[in-house]
Amino acid sequence: MKIQLELNGDPHYVDIEPGESLLSLVRRLGAWSVRSGCDVGDCGSCTVLLNGRPVRSCITFAAKAQGGSVTTVEALGTPQALHPLQEAFLEAGAVQCGYCTPGMVLVAYDLLTRVDDPSADHVLRAIAGNLCRCTGYRKIVEAVRLAARRKAEGRWR
Amino acid sequence: MRLQGVVRYHRARDTEEALSLLAGYEGRGALLAGGVDVARSPRRDVEGLIDIAGAGLSHVKLTERGGLLLGATVTLTELVESRVAAQYCGGVLVETLSLFSAAPLRNMATLGGAVVSAHPWADVPTLLVALGAELRWTDGMERKGSLEGVYAGAFRELFRNAVLTEVRLPPCDGGFAFYKLRRSAADVAMLNAACGLGVAQGRIAWARIALGATPTRGRRLPWLEELVQGEVPGAELWEEVAAQVRAKLDTGDDRRATGEWRRKAAGPLVARALAQAVERAR
Amino acid sequence: MAVGTSKRSVVGHNVTKVDGPSLVCGRPKFTMDIDLSGSLVGVILPSPHAHARIKSIDTSAAESLSGVVCVLHHGNVSRIAHTTAGQGWPEPSPYDTFLFDNKVRYVGDKVAAVAANSEQVAREALRRISVEYEVLPSLLSVDAALAAGSPAIHDETDAEGIYDAAGNVAAAVDIPVGDVAAALAQAEVTVEATCEIPYSQHVPIEPHCTVAYFDEDGRLVVRTSTQVPFHVRRIVARVLELPLHRVRVVKPRIGGGFGVKQEVLLEPVAGALALRTGKAVRMVFTREEEFVSSRTRHPMKVRVALGAGKDGVLRALEMEATSNTGAYGAHALTVLSNVGSKTLPLYNKPHDLRFHGRAVYTNLPVAGAYRGYGATQGYFPLEVAMDQLAERLQIDPVELRLRNHIREGETSPIFERIGEGREGVAQIVRSCKLEECLRLGAERFGWREKRSAPRQRGPLTYGVGMACAMQGSGITGIDMGAATIMLNEDGSFRLLIGATDLGTGSDTVLAQIAAEMLGVPVEKISVYSSDTDFTPFDVGAYASSTTYVSGTAVLRAAQEVRSQVLDVAAAMLRQSRDTLEIHDGRVHGSAGKSVSLEEVGHRAAYVVDQHHIAATASCVPEESPPPFAAFFAEVCVDRETGLVRLERMLGVADCGVALHPRLAEGQVEGAMAQGVGHALFEEMVFSERGRCVNTNLLDYRIPSSTDLRSLEAILVDSYEPSGPLGAKSIAEIGINGPLPAISNAIYHAVGVRLARAPFTPGRVLRALEGKG
Repeated sequence: MKIQLELNGDPHYVDIEPGESLLSLVRRLGAWSVRSGCDVGDCGSCTVLLNGRPVRSCITFAAKAQGGSVTTVEALGTPQALHPLQEAFLEAGAVQCGYCTPGMVLVAYDLLTRVDDPSADHVLRAIAGNLCRCTGYRKIVEAVRLAARRKAEGRWR
Repeated sequence: MRLQGVVRYHRARDTEEALSLLAGYEGRGALLAGGVDVARSPRRDVEGLIDIAGAGLSHVKLTERGGLLLGATVTLTELVESRVAAQYCGGVLVETLSLFSAAPLRNMATLGGAVVSAHPWADVPTLLVALGAELRWTDGMERKGSLEGVYAGAFRELFRNAVLTEVRLPPCDGGFAFYKLRRSAADVAMLNAACGLGVAQGRIAWARIALGATPTRGRRLPWLEELVQGEVPGAELWEEVAAQVRAKLDTGDDRRATGEWRRKAAGPLVARALAQAVERAR
Repeated sequence: MAVGTSKRSVVGHNVTKVDGPSLVCGRPKFTMDIDLSGSLVGVILPSPHAHARIKSIDTSAAESLSGVVCVLHHGNVSRIAHTTAGQGWPEPSPYDTFLFDNKVRYVGDKVAAVAANSEQVAREALRRISVEYEVLPSLLSVDAALAAGSPAIHDETDAEGIYDAAGNVAAAVDIPVGDVAAALAQAEVTVEATCEIPYSQHVPIEPHCTVAYFDEDGRLVVRTSTQVPFHVRRIVARVLELPLHRVRVVKPRIGGGFGVKQEVLLEPVAGALALRTGKAVRMVFTREEEFVSSRTRHPMKVRVALGAGKDGVLRALEMEATSNTGAYGAHALTVLSNVGSKTLPLYNKPHDLRFHGRAVYTNLPVAGAYRGYGATQGYFPLEVAMDQLAERLQIDPVELRLRNHIREGETSPIFERIGEGREGVAQIVRSCKLEECLRLGAERFGWREKRSAPRQRGPLTYGVGMACAMQGSGITGIDMGAATIMLNEDGSFRLLIGATDLGTGSDTVLAQIAAEMLGVPVEKISVYSSDTDFTPFDVGAYASSTTYVSGTAVLRAAQEVRSQVLDVAAAMLRQSRDTLEIHDGRVHGSAGKSVSLEEVGHRAAYVVDQHHIAATASCVPEESPPPFAAFFAEVCVDRETGLVRLERMLGVADCGVALHPRLAEGQVEGAMAQGVGHALFEEMVFSERGRCVNTNLLDYRIPSSTDLRSLEAILVDSYEPSGPLGAKSIAEIGINGPLPAISNAIYHAVGVRLARAPFTPGRVLRALEGKG
C-alpha cells in the first residue's frame, strides 16, 4: 500500500507493507538514527516523534504515519552544526555508546518543547521509558537541564 | 515487529465500516487504535488490520451529574492532559494513568486498548472495576454492560466481533485512591489496588476495593468491602484489613513476583489505598 | 605529588568525545547501518531441550522453500573444537564448543542455521527443519551437575582443556597461602558470609550483530559488533579452516558490550553461511536470543571466612567460590580465578589465605565475561563479611576498612599466586588513594550522621551501608596493545588502534594521549579503530586494559613520532633537537624561532629527505595497577511490602590521573548503575525444563532513570607512576560496589542480611519475617 508522510520536513509518497513497522519504514527512508533495541517497545531506542509526540516506532504501524509528520534526530543538527540540545549532551558526557542517544535526545526535545525549566525529577520521569545501559542516566539529566538553561538564554532552534 | 501475514491495512471511518471489515475477515482481522498490543503480540493469523483511531471515538466529556464519558480510542496521554478528566473523582484517573509506563507509550496506547487487552498486570482494569465503569460496544447492535460483568464473561471472544465504543464512569461521590507496587519505577505492577469509599458520620458508608496483578487481572473483593462497611476508618481497621487480605487472598506466581509475597504485600497495599481514599472522601 | 597535570593542555580536560558529534546526530556508524543490497539474512534454530542428542535432522522441507539459500547443521560442517571466549593465546578456556554439534546442552543452543532472502523466509525455514532428539536428563543446577551418577554434559571425546569432564567440572582452582585453617582457628574473632548471584545478562542496547561478506579479492570480511576484533579473526579462521590472512574483521561503533561482546558468537555462523553461499549474510540476535543464546554473568555462590584480632585487623581470609559456567566453559577458569585475585589483595594484612573454587557445567545458558569478571561475585560476600566484622567488634565500617586496606608501597602474595588462569605476577602497589576515597566519600555522603541511627517514617526505614573494591588494569604479561601514529602533511596526525571503543570513550582518551605528546589539540588527531587489516594488533577491550595498556602503546608511538618530528624541525631551524619543544602545533626552538607541524609535514612529504613520519609501538604490561573505590548507599526499606528503594549511591574512585574526567566518571556511574541492577532487579528466571522465561525488557528489568535518582561518582587525585601520563583503569570497578553496599544498607535499616541477589521485595519480606 502507498502512504504519504513527511519525514524531517521532506515529503514522501512510499510503498509500505501493511504490517510494516514505522521503524522499518524510516530506516528504509534513510533515517538511520532510529535503531532497534528490542523490537517490542520496551527499550525506547527506536523513539521518533510522530506528529510532534514521541512514540516507539518498532511497535507503531507504518500506516499510522499516513498524512502525518515524523521527526528523527536527523532533523535537529549535523555533526558540523549541532543543535543546542545535542551540544549539551556532548558537554555533559551524556553520550557513551550512543545507541540509545537519538531516542533519548528526542524525548528530551519533547520535554523541553513542553516545559521550560524542568526539575531533575521531571527529567528523570520524562526519560524513564528510554533505557540506557551505559551512563547511569546522571549525565543525561545534567545534559537536559543544561539544554533548558541554553533555551532560556534564547539559544534554541 | 513486522506482522508477516497482514495483507491489508484499513482505516475505518466509523464503527459500522469497522464491523463490516471485521466480519469480512472471518476471525483473521484485528482491530487496532494505538496498535501497541497488536504489534507487541503479533498473531501470525492476522490478515487484515482495521484501524479505528479515526472512527470518531476519542471524546472526553463530563456528564451533568459528574460522570465521565470516554471514547474508546482516546489515548492515555490525551486523558492525562485532559482538564475534563482531571476534574473527575479527585483526579484519580489522571493520577493512575500517569503512573503507566512512559510518555512514548502513553502517546500510543488507548483506553479502549487497555480495557480490551486486559493484561493481568494492567492498572486500567483494576481502577475501572473499582470505579464501576460501564462499557458501550457495538456488534451491529448498540450494547452496554458493566465492565465487571463483561470481564466475568468471555470478553476476548466478545471483542473479536465487536467494537468497544465508550467507557462510562459513574458520578463519583466518595474518595478514590490507586496504589501500585513495582520493582522499578518504569515497571508494570507486581500488585495494584484501587479503593474508593464514602464516609458518613465518621463511618465507612460504602467501599469499592479492587486488586490486580495478583497475578490475575484486577477484580473487586466484595468480602473485604463488606468487612469495612460501617466501620470506623483508622489504623485499627487497616490492620484488620491487612490481616484478612493475607488470610483470604488467592494469589499466584508470575515472572515478576511470587504468590507468597503477593499475599503478604497486598494487605498493606489495600490498607494504604483505603487510608488515602478516606482522606480524599473527607 | 609531582604530577604536573596542571601544565597539560589536553589530558585531564573534558574534550569533546571524538565520535560524539556523529553519535549524537545518529549517523550510521553501527554494524547494522551498512547497506548491503542483496544480502541474505541468517537465523539460528535454537534447541528446545536443555540436554539432548540429535538423532536425526531433516532439512529438506526448509531447503525446498523458495528463498532459502543454505541450511547448516552438524552434518554438513567441519567439527572443530574451539572456545567462543575471545581471550589471549594460549586460550585459557576449554575447547568444548563446536560450530554445530550432534548434542545440545541448553535451551537455546545452536542446532542449525539458515540463510535466506528475507528474515520472514528464514524463520519459516526454521519451522520446517525437523529434528529428532533423544532427550537426556538435564542438570539444571550446580548441585545436580555435581551429584554422583549425573551424566556428563561434555561426554564428547574431542574436547580439550576440561578439568574434569566426567564430573562436570570445567575448571578448578586451589591457592593456599600459609595455613588459613589454623589462622581462622586461632583468630580472636571470626565471621563468615555466603552470598549468591543468579543468572543475569549484560543487556547492551544494541544486540549482537554481524555482517559477513566477501571482498573483491575473495577475502572474508566480518563487520561485527565486537570488543575483540583480533580474537574474532583468529577464532573465525580456526572454525572455518581459513588461513588467518583470508579473514578481515571490522569493528564499527558498538552499542554497548560490558563483556558480552568479548565472545565470538555470530561471527563464525555468519562467516560459514557466507562461505557456503558466496553472498553477504546479516545476522542479529533478537532480544530473546540476546538473553538466552549469548552470554551471561557466571552465577555464583561464594563463601568468605574472616579471622581478625580484636583490633579489627584481619589475620585470616578464606574464600571459596562455586561458579556455574552453564553449558560451555567460556571464561570458566579465568572468571573463577578473578573472584580471588581481584579481591583478596585489597585487605593484605593476613598472612594466611586461601582461595579455592570450581566452575561447574550445567544445562543452562552459557556464562561469559561480564564487567567485574568475578570480582563482582567476590566482593559481595567479602564486603558483607567485613560489615559483619565491623558490627561484631563495634568498629565503624569505614574505620575497619582503613585498618585493613592495602597501601602504596605494599603488596599481596595473591598478585603472584593467582593470575588469569595461571600463576600471576608479583607487584607492588604504587598508587592507592583508597584512604582518601573513604574519607572524602564518608564526608560527602554524611556517613557519620546517617549511620548513627536508621531514620524511620511510618512503614519506611532508611539505612546506609558501604563497601570497597579494587580491580586491575589489564592482564600482566598477556595483554598486548599496539598503536600507529602517522603525521599528515598538513600537520595533523592519524592514530590507528586495534583497541576497541565500545562506548567507553577510549578512542577519545587515546587521542588525548597522542595529542598531549604531540602538542596539538585533539581535533588534529584522526582516530581509527579497529580493523584487522589496517590497525595494529590489540587484544581488545576487556580486563580494564585499554587506557593502561593501549594507552601506553599510544604514548610510546607518540614519543617516537615526536622524536622524528624533532629531527626534521631541528634541520629546518638549524638548532639542536635537544632544545626543541612541541606545543600549540609548532616546534619551538631558541631565540623565538619556530616551525609549524604543517611545515614539518610538508617538508618530510615533499621537499627534502622525504620520508613518512610514522611509528608503531606496543605495550605488554608488566604490572596491573589496581584502581580503588569506596561506595556508599542509602536505601529506604518498606517493612510491610519488602520494597527497597535506592535513595542514593555514591562511588569515590582512584583511577590514577583521570585523562578525561567526565568520561571516567561516566564509567563509574554506568558500572554502578549495572551493580544496582544486580542488587535490586536483575535475574533470569527459568522454567522447570531450563527455559528462560523472562527474555524481554518488560519482564527482566534493568534500571531506568527513576530508579537511579541520586547516583554519583567522584574521582580523587592520584597518580600511577607506571601508567600513561599517570593513568590506570576505571571501567569495571564501579560494578563491584552496589551489591554489598546495598545489602549492608538494608541490614543497617532493618537488621536482615540479604545474601541472595537480587534483593526483591519477596526476599526482603521473607527475611524480615524470619527475623520475627
